[in-house]
Amino acid sequence: MRIPIRMISLATTFFWIFLIVFFVSAVYSVKDVRFDFKEPQMELTSDNKILFSLPITIDNKGYYNIGSFNVTTEISDKQGFIITQGSTFIPIIEKGRHIIATHNMTMGINDLQNSQDYLFNDTELEVHETVGMKLAEVIPVQASTNVSVPWGAPLYDFALGEIEYTAYNLTHMTAIIQISFENHAFFDLTGSIQIRMYNSTGILICEGQTTIEAMQNTQYQEYMELNVPITGITEKGHFEVYFSTPFFKAEEPLVVPYD
Amino acid sequence: MTEEKKDFKKRLQGFTFKALKATIKGVLFYGIYFVLSMFFAPISEMVSGFQQTIEIFVMVYIFLMIVGELTAGTIFHHFFSAAKALFVILYLIFALKGGIVGVTVQNVNLVVDLRLFLVVAMLLGLLGFAKSVLQAINFLNEKAEHVNF
Repeated sequence: MRIPIRMISLATTFFWIFLIVFFVSAVYSVKDVRFDFKEPQMELTSDNKILFSLPITIDNKGYYNIGSFNVTTEISDKQGFIITQGSTFIPIIEKGRHIIATHNMTMGINDLQNSQDYLFNDTELEVHETVGMKLAEVIPVQASTNVSVPWGAPLYDFALGEIEYTAYNLTHMTAIIQISFENHAFFDLTGSIQIRMYNSTGILICEGQTTIEAMQNTQYQEYMELNVPITGITEKGHFEVYFSTPFFKAEEPLVVPYD
Repeated sequence: MTEEKKDFKKRLQGFTFKALKATIKGVLFYGIYFVLSMFFAPISEMVSGFQQTIEIFVMVYIFLMIVGELTAGTIFHHFFSAAKALFVILYLIFALKGGIVGVTVQNVNLVVDLRLFLVVAMLLGLLGFAKSVLQAINFLNEKAEHVNF
């Protein structure tokens, strides 16, 4: 019986040493692995979608390979509605390798149209970032964080000014309306605005369209002229404003009352 | 009287030898812990309580090891060996919280899945426990063989 016991002793000691040395070296080698998440970039794709790019540099100078490297990003609004999500997976990062990867994610601005807040008000988006990997290809590790990123509205503080009437002919007057907003978005805004003018009885009295071109982080201020039949003019009424740009097209009009 | 003295001297020598062996084993084990703790230093800085958990483990383990060595040649030696093996299993389960360890550093939640490590360590602990039981059985067996009816 002594020999089997001795063999069990030897096997147990050997496996304990192996387990401890492997575990300690796997954990210790993490200090030689460098993950560098560079500044995220936002740009527009050819099909007019927002492209989020996160360049990631991984320098594995540890003793072991890293398996199943995975980056997942989920962007949601403040109410928790998921706007978009993206994932980047690298099956294996061999030891001694230097890898540069780009974590990409696309988002259509129309996805944001559930709430007009995104077009007219600056707000914040919640970003849930998860990075997972298998140290030495066997020890799963996951790190996750939540950050808020500012969202700049492309039509911030949109307003139609006081209507100024000037005589056009015997039957019509020219209504001059000031259009103003600030483009807080990270992209230049180009497109058109269509305005429909209704009087107090709800009758469409005129409509017009103008093109807009606002560089990012600039204020837009232009005038629009509409020829209004004199008989239709009332003191009060409302405008319906339709926006159409390559990036988004508002189906629902913005209703702006006037008096 | 002389025989009694000789017997006492023999016992004292035996105990001194056991104590010396226990001390060497304890120092050796602490030395291994000391070397390994240098590797774990970055984790200790990040995870509060990690150092304390390891130190308690080392203290209890060394205590059981020394007591086990001092009781060598008796059935209690095997009891302490079995207790040591069980202590390793139970302590790992509690310290590693079932294998999923979570830490929050600033705004980052870090989760390490050590279930595989825990399972292997538990199996090795069980093997150590089985070895202690076998040793105890063997010890009693040999004792029984020496009894002269």
